[in-house]
Amino acid sequence: MSTEPALPRNFLRPCLLLLLREQPAHGYDLLERLRSLGFDRDDPGGLYRSLRSLERDGLVCSAWERSTSGPDRRTYKLTRAGMEELHARTKALAEARETLDIFLSRYAEFVTLRGAETRVEARR
Amino acid sequence: MGELDALRVREDVLQAMYWIRSEGLGEAPQREELARFLAVPKETLTPYLDRFVDEGYLERVGDGFALTDFGAQLGKRSFAEEFAGLTGQAHGECDEDCWCHESPDEAARCLEERKQHVH
Repeated sequence: MSTEPALPRNFLRPCLLLLLREQPAHGYDLLERLRSLGFDRDDPGGLYRSLRSLERDGLVCSAWERSTSGPDRRTYKLTRAGMEELHARTKALAEARETLDIFLSRYAEFVTLRGAETRVEARR
Repeated sequence: MGELDALRVREDVLQAMYWIRSEGLGEAPQREELARFLAVPKETLTPYLDRFVDEGYLERVGDGFALTDFGAQLGKRSFAEEFAGLTGQAHGECDEDCWCHESPDEAARCLEERKQHVH
């Protein structure tokens, strides 16, 4: 059975918007920072496709940054539309969290009851 | 494969390979890695890769493919051109430093104000 955290569908998009709100970044930097948000660093293709999709939607913009030590790198930053999308997605996530909190709270009651029943039976 | 398809795939492949290289993620990815990166079946991608080698955009390096200088230049340029002009500010929009960027409520107020000022 999988123990991977069940992240919301398309959670990568708001995460990228958030990371780019914190600071403009290169792809490799984003890959590293996504780990703290529960993403596997081994999917650079997923990151690349998401960044392109966000850019196509006008939510991020990018430009080549000159490098003296290697090929130029693409630097991504948030657009104003991206900031608005981040606000909207965060509101939706907050609402989803309320529902999840209710679920987890009720589950915790169930687990506690089951635990108590088990203890009672064990005493008999 | 059609010529238009080949042009589209060529841009996708060269752009992706330039990005992979510039991020230090690999100089000569194998066809399986490229297919996974672009989320396309390996069998679909393979004839295009062979064609791009023949046309001088890619070269074989071991089991993988690397950009030639010509391919790298084209990948970099087409990447920039694809998104040029998409993210410019439109009439009536706030600027990058607008106060509305600080919270959802302020963003909603700013949007409302901008709607009222549209001619």
